[in-house]
Amino acid sequence: MSWESFVMMMPYITVVILMAIGLYTVLFKKNLIKIIMGIAIMQNGANLFLVSLAYRRGYIAPIFTSAESTDMVMPTPHALTLTSIVIGLATTALMLSLTMMIKKHYDSINTEDMRRCKE
Amino acid sequence: MTWDTLVTNSPTFILGIPLLFAFLTALSGRFSKKIGDTLFFIALIATAFFVSLMSYEVLTGESWFYVFGAEQPSPENIRSFFRITFAADGFAVLATITIMITAVAAGIYSYGFMKFETGLNKFYTLFLLTLAGVNGMVLTGDLFNLFVWFEVTSVASCALVAFKNYRGESVEAALKYMILSTVGGLVILFSIGLLYGQHGVLNYALLREGITGSFIDKLALGLVMVILAMKASSVPMHMWAPDAYGEAPGSVTPFIAITSLGSLFVLFRLLFSVFSLTVVSGSILIILGTLSMIIGVSMALVQSDLKRLIAYLSVSQVGYMMMAVGVGLATLNTGDYDSFGELAMQGGLFHMINDGVYKALLFLSAVAVVHVTDIRSLNDLGGLAHKMPYVTFFFLLGALSIAGIPPLSGFSSKLLIYKSVYLYSPILAIVALVVSIITLAIIGKAFFNAFLGPDQGLVKRRVSKTMLLGMGILTVALVLFTLFPNIVVTEVVTPAIDALTETFEGVIP
Amino acid sequence: MKWEMSRVVKTVTDILVAPIIIFGIYLILHGHLTPGGGFQGGAVIASSTALLIIAYGTLGKHKKDLSSIEAVGLTLFILIAFLGIGSTVFYNYITGTGFPFGGSLPYHGPNPGYINTGGTITFMNLMVGIEVAAALSLILWMMSKRGGVMEPKGSSSKKAEGKD
Repeated sequence: MSWESFVMMMPYITVVILMAIGLYTVLFKKNLIKIIMGIAIMQNGANLFLVSLAYRRGYIAPIFTSAESTDMVMPTPHALTLTSIVIGLATTALMLSLTMMIKKHYDSINTEDMRRCKE
Repeated sequence: MTWDTLVTNSPTFILGIPLLFAFLTALSGRFSKKIGDTLFFIALIATAFFVSLMSYEVLTGESWFYVFGAEQPSPENIRSFFRITFAADGFAVLATITIMITAVAAGIYSYGFMKFETGLNKFYTLFLLTLAGVNGMVLTGDLFNLFVWFEVTSVASCALVAFKNYRGESVEAALKYMILSTVGGLVILFSIGLLYGQHGVLNYALLREGITGSFIDKLALGLVMVILAMKASSVPMHMWAPDAYGEAPGSVTPFIAITSLGSLFVLFRLLFSVFSLTVVSGSILIILGTLSMIIGVSMALVQSDLKRLIAYLSVSQVGYMMMAVGVGLATLNTGDYDSFGELAMQGGLFHMINDGVYKALLFLSAVAVVHVTDIRSLNDLGGLAHKMPYVTFFFLLGALSIAGIPPLSGFSSKLLIYKSVYLYSPILAIVALVVSIITLAIIGKAFFNAFLGPDQGLVKRRVSKTMLLGMGILTVALVLFTLFPNIVVTEVVTPAIDALTETFEGVIP
Repeated sequence: MKWEMSRVVKTVTDILVAPIIIFGIYLILHGHLTPGGGFQGGAVIASSTALLIIAYGTLGKHKKDLSSIEAVGLTLFILIAFLGIGSTVFYNYITGTGFPFGGSLPYHGPNPGYINTGGTITFMNLMVGIEVAAALSLILWMMSKRGGVMEPKGSSSKKAEGKD
């Protein structure tokens, strides 16, 4: 693999690393806050993946204001990324507030203590 | 505004009206409770009206692709548009009808059931948002929207599960469901990225042309399939379902179940209309379905909590649909499709609409039992038939239907499944039959425990009239499906199958 | 316990709130021309609320107002979308007319970025901006310790009438 193609692959390698870290955190950590942080890391991985998909060498960002050339990238992945960021805000806020309520009811944010449903 | 405008725009009204009224009910919290109630019912009735309008047009006329923001609702050449599309076809009709029956019943039931709660306008907002989300999931014609509505459904239904936030169990169930759904949504987003990077389009109909079965396609298919099966509470990923169904506010339990049925609809749409890897994905569906049936029913055996018992039974019912449609998918484009594949599809999809109805009836009557007695354990219940004749009748109807006892609609669809699956593989049909018998034993035990026997004086409250009305609507639908199964199959289910197997033919010029 | 921050924090907050809000409005109004738009502008405006919460520890009695503003923004968004029902929902019926923000542009190619364009998109950005600013402020306020989520134990048990 040449240096050039390695540089081109860098975003995707980062995506894989981020997704792996996030998944590991979600699966193996017991602390709810850490799990939510893991989900946020996965979210960033997915967003980075979409943004790097949209990149084309030599093309410019899809902003028409005083643009120099008309070789622009398709803005669909950017729109998808924005949507996912907005949704990520909503889900993170909801999960955090649920965690706050868990803390209030169970006096703990450890998943080991969340066993009341099974009874 | 003419009638035709209303008809061609009906897919957007199915989404727009719940959304609009969701925000209006949120606003009405400042004024009075009455306004919120009224707006909620107006929204439900108007959405049901537009669902029937769309259904009538699709079933008697033709289906259409609705393109947002274009000058005409369905322009001649959708290829030139990078726009949001909705597919108003037979499959969407089947799905929205299934969703709306339960939504109307659960909504009316909620009015009587949630009377003692505060902040009801927020409950209505969440209910309508979930309704819009599920309808959007089944109506949408591109992956972008699928992701958006998937997340709307997740967030709104998780908040619904946690609505009684003074109970720790509700919050715990909601958090489990939420973490799974969020990770699931991210995985779906990732696979959408894979497909977009490979093919450059997100529209189902255009994506269909590009899919060849390369490694990337298979990876994306696998990821999407796992997540949607998870949301549909299929077995290896079913753990969230009994918690969420058991701990949600009683009146919305069937509605949470409907969101998982909606995910199953989406899964079928994607497998048939987008991915053309029929044999592989069909076999996976059959395996998942068989596992769901067996494990769901064997977990239900050991439950003593009424709501969790029905939740596990519903997991096993999902197995029937996955198995039947899986047989249809595995035989698609082969000679076997005409001999029994189509029959399996009919059985599977008819079972979905049946399941939506009788599962809701079972859940609502079980919730009524819990509501009047404050007891959830089957060991402590007994003799309720003396004081609650209507609820007993409703529960009995649902129980007989879920077990597939002959005259009822559950039997019609299960018979189609047995007949067709037997020709594919006799073992699967035998498994389905055995699971059905065990289901009968389980639900029979629950019925005897809860309703029969001497009166123990457990009844503390009355079942309000609106709760009975909600269950009555479901009963009417159940009786209609029981009396006219052939009409439902030929008029509603067959167009849905055609929409699935023809995969947008004629939409793209 | 009264929330008290030092005079420095309060003064800096007082100075910064207005520019932050103006920058948010700028982002919202240029949403159809440059990166930005309703969500981003709204988030920027909400960050000024975050500053206020940190410095003064309260938003006063405006919790219900924020919730209503959010609902109004969303309702208007849906209504604006549905006004295009003559063609389709989300149809841009303003562009090309004399209405504010209704200027037209060449279909292709770069342009100098006239703000008087965009049609319904501009109005929708405005509504989304209002919604997001209100909703994010509400979330921040509810999550800050004085917002009411973390009530002391037992205070919320009065709701537990209908058990399930």
